[in-house]
Parts: sequence; structure tokens; C-alpha cells
Amino acid sequence: MAKVLVIADIKNGALGSSTTELLSKAKAIGAETAVVAIGSGIDGLIPNLAGAGSDTQYVADDDSLAMFSAGPFAACVVDAANQFGADMVWFGFSESGKAAAPRVAAQLDVACATDITDVILDGDQIAIVRPAIANKVMQRVKINTAKMVAVIRAGAFEATEGITGSENVVKLTAPEADLKAVIKEILTDASGDIDLADADIVVSVGRGAKNQEGVDMVKGLADDLKAGFGSSRAMVDGGFMPHNKQVGQTGKIVAPTLYMAFGISGAIQHIAGMSGAKVILAVNKDPEAPIFNLADYGIVGDLFEVVPILREEIKKVRA
Amino acid sequence: MKILTTLKKVVDVELTINVKDGAIVEDGLQYVMNAWDENAIESAVQLKESSKAETTLVSIGGGDNSEIIRKAYAMGIEQGIHVDDPALAKADSFAFAKVLQKVFEKGPYDLVITGKQAQDTDSGQTGILLAEALGVPCVSNVIAIETLDDQNIKVSRLGDAGTEILEVALPAVVTVSDSINEPRLPQLRGIMMAKKKKIESMDLAGLGLTSDDVASPKSEVVEFMATEARQAGKKFEGDAASITAEVVGLLASEANVF
Repeated sequence: MAKVLVIADIKNGALGSSTTELLSKAKAIGAETAVVAIGSGIDGLIPNLAGAGSDTQYVADDDSLAMFSAGPFAACVVDAANQFGADMVWFGFSESGKAAAPRVAAQLDVACATDITDVILDGDQIAIVRPAIANKVMQRVKINTAKMVAVIRAGAFEATEGITGSENVVKLTAPEADLKAVIKEILTDASGDIDLADADIVVSVGRGAKNQEGVDMVKGLADDLKAGFGSSRAMVDGGFMPHNKQVGQTGKIVAPTLYMAFGISGAIQHIAGMSGAKVILAVNKDPEAPIFNLADYGIVGDLFEVVPILREEIKKVRA
Repeated sequence: MKILTTLKKVVDVELTINVKDGAIVEDGLQYVMNAWDENAIESAVQLKESSKAETTLVSIGGGDNSEIIRKAYAMGIEQGIHVDDPALAKADSFAFAKVLQKVFEKGPYDLVITGKQAQDTDSGQTGILLAEALGVPCVSNVIAIETLDDQNIKVSRLGDAGTEILEVALPAVVTVSDSINEPRLPQLRGIMMAKKKKIESMDLAGLGLTSDDVASPKSEVVEFMATEARQAGKKFEGDAASITAEVVGLLASEANVF
């Protein structure tokens, strides 16, 4: 039986959705599951981790781990992987996962693959599937090592209801501080916005919003829907949206149930970040905008006119 | 201060990519400088201009890379190395990191700046693996270089919790996001000068490596498949109030998202 170690995605003291998705998939392929939780003051999450489907919880809980630092983070994962005898180490598709995974693979001397949409086991042979070239093609990749490290795309696996694990806690010793890489400060996103990777609905704004007034108006809809609020690159470059809200090949990759694109024409790089959505609604003035080629529902119109109507109509159907 | 940047020749993602019999159809493809590496080169050139750093780039594999290396020269990079060898055909990120490690040690360099990923593989591993191989710090997804002196570099990276500001000891590797800068367009004078500059060629043996060092990839692509294209759905034109109401109705009743 394969042994899968899942890295717990902990944000502001709560579990991100990737943890349950990855544990669900591990259970579905019949793997023995463990999870590694790294942070400060996270003991309270242990019952949730068992409840999400892990059989063993490796916990590194220390003040020195309060802020993410790739070196110590990777050291904790390697420790857990060795203790557990993991065949596969699965990270969610986060910036910390992308930064730590290759280090873990190098230290374990096993293969690493990122942005994976599927894992296929055939006896002892592991293969993975992933998009490449800005999502224009898919690759099937053969893993030549017996074990591997994987970074798995958000929404690639569905969280299943009713899976269970058992509480079996192994405490990890915090690694020594990395004196060569010192975190000076983290400028946190204090907006209280919903994380784009976890959001069930993502509302995104593009060049068509023109100015701050347009951005604020679309944000109002996102607030109504308790949706994640994202952006195309143009609005980041224009200074209307922060870098961490950019959806696309170079920014966040999202896979919500509903993606709503306002004033976004649909550059390849943007599409690469959102085409995994189940349903896409696009609103654009230009009837020829490429985004209409992949939108399930397209409204040709000025977002300044359409958004207020949308807000009212959605309130009606939700009432 | 000696800075090494990396440069990969990649397929132009703006053009159509076709797949046939498990492989990408080469016909009609065009190759360009990896967009993120262009940001890395711009960063290095800016550091050269502000702090008198020496700049070198290395490009691995890909056959004739002279066009993209000369473009980097025209942007202001001073020296270019092209490492090519038939044994690199199957190379994975670990093999690339091993080659870069050897190039680095020949310098040696104080700082490596790479793009955070290549636009063909979108993998984002090579820079981090290089740092692991060298045993030096790495900061990935860097959006600003704040300060650089002989001992340290201070950078901002985009992390999950927001913008993280780190100071790391040199030598170090940083991988940059395209948010870090707007790469300059080469000027005519630079282009003319770039034409005359030498490109140093190296093979594996020249770096003290053998084909065995790079020929056993930990992973390999066995098949390319076409991405399932999403189909265009329903497009509504006309009176904003009525089409918007209709679409919201469909989102609720047909797509079941509300």
C-alpha cells in the first residue's frame, strides 16, 4: 500500500481546502495517509486533520515556524517523510508549496513535479499528468524514481464527504533557524479577502473596468457573493489591484465552481489561470473578445451597466 | 560582484500549439527568450548599472541559441555562455541544475538571478534545485530587489500571506516573477554591438560532467496530449437589463451555481 504524506495548508490558523482534497484522493487510491502540519499555535487543528482523513499527524509547532521560510519548512517535511516512509509527498498549489517542494525532493533524492492535475499508479510505477505551455497542452510524465514529491493544482481532486482518519500525533522537533535567510517582515493582506485558491466563486476584473470606480463596483458584487476577488495582469500593472490578486499563468491558478470575468479580454496567460473553473461567465463590451470562446455564459455589454443589474438579479434569485 | 543569469529558449506561447501522436508538431513553431528570464536579465542589467556588477548569462541546450543570447547582449548583459550537448536531450530540472552548478563554480558568482519558471514547462524548479545543489539560500517568486551589498541581498517575494521581505546571505539564488520589472527593448546601438560579441560555447566535458551525469532523468515526459478545449457557450447581446436577468436565471437553474 502506498504511503502518501500531505502537507497541511494552514492559513490564519485554519485549514485550506487543498488539505481535504489531497487526503480524499490519497484515500481513494487506497493509500495510507499522514499529514504534516507546520506553524505556531496549531495544536488545535489536529482533530480537523484527523477528521479530514489523515491516519497520522506529524506536527511541528514552534514560535520559530510562525512565518513561512522555505528552508525550515522543507526540513520539517523531510523529517516527516522519513519517519513515515512516504512514497509520495503531496503539496497543495501554494507559493509555499512551490518554494519548498523542489528542496524536499532534492533532499530526499526523488523526482519532483509541479502543477499536477492527476496521479496514476500502475503497480510500483508512478505517472502524473500536468498542463504545460500555458495550459496549451497536457503532459503525461513518467516518474523514474520509486518515490516522488508532487505539487498538485487546486481543484484537481474533489474533496469527498465522510472520509475519516485517526488521531495519532507525532511531534516534530523544530529545525534550527536558517541564519542565511532571515525574514524581515511580512506585509500581510489585511483586507480580509477570501483566498482565491479556496474560493467557490471568483469575481475578476480586467482592463474594461478602466479606473478605481470600476474596480470598486465589481468588488461590490464580489462582496455580495462572498467571492474571491481577482484581476487580470492589466489591472495589476495599472496599479489598481495588488500583485497577489492576479489570476493567470504567472499569478494564481484558480478552480472555482463559478468564475466571473468582467472586462477581461482573455489573454492566453490569463486563461491558463482560470480555465479549470466549472462554469465561466464573461461580461465584455467587445463581442469578439477571446474570452467568449470559452465562457459558458457571455454577456456582451458595458460592465458599468451590467454589474448593478447583476447584483440586483442575483439578490432576487438568492432570496 | 559577479551576477549569473539564466536564459532558456522556449516555444512562443502566443502561437497555436498542435499535438499529434503524443508529440508536439514542430511545424510552424517559433522560439523566443523565456519571458521570465527576460525579467531576470533586466534585473541583472539594472544591478550592473546601479552597482557596477559584472553580468554573465548561461543558456543550456536548444541548439542554436545565438539569437536570444545576442538579444540579452543588446539589453546589456556582458558575457554569454552556451552549454549544449546531445546528452542534454532528456535532461530534467535536476540535470539542468547540475549543469548550472558547474557553470556557477567556474565563476564563482555572488548572485544567480533566474526566471521563476520557463514558459514551456511551467515547472519552476531549476533555480531552487540549483540553490540546493550549491547549498546556498534561495528566494523564489521575487517581485523586488530592495538592496544589494557585498554580503547580502534583500528582496521582496510574493508569498501566500502577502509580501515577504527577506535578507539572504550571498552567494544566493533568486527566481523572479514578471512583476519585478518591465524588460527594456534593445536599442539599435546595443543590437549592433551585440552582433560582434563572442558567445562562449561549452559541452558537458568542458564542465567536468559526463553524459551519465545528465542522462538518467528522475522524470520524463512520455506523451503530450491536446488540452480539452472548452466550448463557447451561450452569448447574449441586446438590452442589458433583459439579457442580464436571463443569464442570472440560467446560472441559477441550469448551472446551479446560486
